[in-house]
Amino acid sequence: MTTQLRIAIPVLIAAIVVWMSAFKVDQWEQAVVFRFREINRSDFEPGLHFMWPVMDTVKKFELRLLNMDQEPQRYLTIEKKDVIVDYYVKWRISNVRSFYTATRGGDIESANFLLAQRINSALRDEFGKRTVQEVVAGERGEMLDIVTATTSQLEKEMGITVVDVRTKRIDLPEEVSTSVYDRMRAERLRVAKDFRARGEEAAERIRANADREREVILANAYRDAETIRGEGDALATEIYAAAYGKNEEFYTLYRSLNAYQNSFSSGKDLIVLEPDSDFFKYFRSPKAR
Amino acid sequence: MGWNEPPNGNKGRDPWGDRGNGGGPPDLDEIVRRMQRGFGGLFGRRTGGPGGYNPALLWLLGAAIVVVLLIFDITYFIDQQERGVVLRFGRYVTTLQPGLNVVFPSFIDNVIPVNVGLVRSITHKATMLTQDENIVDVEVAVQWRIDDAAEFVFNVEDPTATLRQVAESAVREVIGKSKLDFVLTEGRSEIAQNQKQLMQKILNDYRTGILIVTVEMQPAKPPDQVKAAFDDAIKAREDEQRLVNEAEAYRNDIIPRARGGAARLREEANAYKATVVARAEGDAARFEQMLTEYERAPAVTRQRLYLDSLESVLSKTPKVLVDTRNSNNVMYVPLDRLLDRPRTPGDSGAQPDAATGRTAAQALQDLGTQPDTRGRPER
Repeated sequence: MTTQLRIAIPVLIAAIVVWMSAFKVDQWEQAVVFRFREINRSDFEPGLHFMWPVMDTVKKFELRLLNMDQEPQRYLTIEKKDVIVDYYVKWRISNVRSFYTATRGGDIESANFLLAQRINSALRDEFGKRTVQEVVAGERGEMLDIVTATTSQLEKEMGITVVDVRTKRIDLPEEVSTSVYDRMRAERLRVAKDFRARGEEAAERIRANADREREVILANAYRDAETIRGEGDALATEIYAAAYGKNEEFYTLYRSLNAYQNSFSSGKDLIVLEPDSDFFKYFRSPKAR
Repeated sequence: MGWNEPPNGNKGRDPWGDRGNGGGPPDLDEIVRRMQRGFGGLFGRRTGGPGGYNPALLWLLGAAIVVVLLIFDITYFIDQQERGVVLRFGRYVTTLQPGLNVVFPSFIDNVIPVNVGLVRSITHKATMLTQDENIVDVEVAVQWRIDDAAEFVFNVEDPTATLRQVAESAVREVIGKSKLDFVLTEGRSEIAQNQKQLMQKILNDYRTGILIVTVEMQPAKPPDQVKAAFDDAIKAREDEQRLVNEAEAYRNDIIPRARGGAARLREEANAYKATVVARAEGDAARFEQMLTEYERAPAVTRQRLYLDSLESVLSKTPKVLVDTRNSNNVMYVPLDRLLDRPRTPGDSGAQPDAATGRTAAQALQDLGTQPDTRGRPER
């Protein structure tokens, strides 16, 4: 054997041995070392680790937060109303041993399946205790907290910690949506009618007020006008009285004569008279009768 | 070690055998010579024979190549908007800042570049329930970037998909706590703000290392199925205003008109007053002047006025003179025939009657209303 061989072969063998016994655990992984197919150690920090070459095998699992998301489910609320719920679950493997055992070798799919069953039944219970409004609005968070809490026993059974359960969708089924739309339409109709009715009321008020004001204005004007006319008449009467009162008898003669002329001015009248008035004084004889 | 014993005892066939060259690595020389022949004398002929190459030079060259490769391997440039997450044998050690960095060679250190400066955007558009069980269409746009490179890489499976889930969940939760009117009208900015806070809280709880930059909400709309009713409600609000305006217009029309009418009434009264007074003054003045003249010669003026007036009256008017003292008790006066005859002013009935051909005077004669010159046959 040459010197190089003496150096090279052991070096090579050493390299192969190191190669077979060293393994790397990434920051997002956790690892389990099996000795003769049995779980030996599972608490490895990220980094470089060593194991026995032939006896031990290593299997890696996710350390990251994992996602479970399935088809939307239909649940019944306490009011016997259907709601369609789409939720997601954030979970992680907290105990690798239990997880490996419970899922027959660490199959994420089967883990998701088991998780889904648990979550579904927990949600069904919670939804069944609440109304739609409570579920949608107020108690959404509280309910999900309850669900997360009830799945805490999964820690022991499956080595899973459920970090968060959140609903992405809580919707009403198609047939119920239709009735909701009807209700929304009816409510808007009521609002519209309300607006229009209030408009009518205000308009009528304004019109009535305007009419009233108009009547008042005209009545006041009538009152003032009559007063003025009265003043005029009074003034005229005063003037007449002052003038005619200077000689009442003459006024009577004068006025009567005017009256006779005006009364018979049309020419269509017929006078039947005896010729014995002062006008006919000299009618029968030239001497005054 | 069978190959160490050549069947022919030929020393030359033993690749591991001694070459009789003393120190140095003779087999390396052999290999290099073969290479040299293949390259057609690339290294050139140096002084010296078969062992003419300077082994030190080749070593130097080889070492230089290795060093250069090593330098390339252990230096890492990080862009301004990137960070480098360094895993040593898988274990996280540090995050590299922008610039020139030195790490261990790649079988020891693994560098994962992460873009922390780029702002990415996702939009989510959906129909959802409000607190009062109404349905509304909502569209949100979320802008985000990676804030903590290490957390982004290590903690969550598919952080981008997680972000989308969180966005959907958060917007529904925030809308689900608000009433429909609030969502449609004044609540937009508050809802967007609440959603941003909620999303950030959840993402921080998951330790995704994601930072939400902004959340913007497009104006929420009522679903298409009820859009008409919502539009009509808005129109009704405008109708209310319109009705009030119309009534105001009516009012603005009739009140000024009424005032105008009132003014007219007053002015007409004023006119009447002035007229009546003026007329009275006129009549009074006329009378007073007449009175003055009358009082100068009362009897004569009286007679004159009397006779003038009666003359004027009687000359214009058809008349019938009767003398009841000397006539029968019953007198036949065909007044309707007399009234019906057409006559001119001044006519005192001197036209012959159409039927009888006699004038009124002749009729009177027949009736016996004569002056005393005739006798009285009836008596």
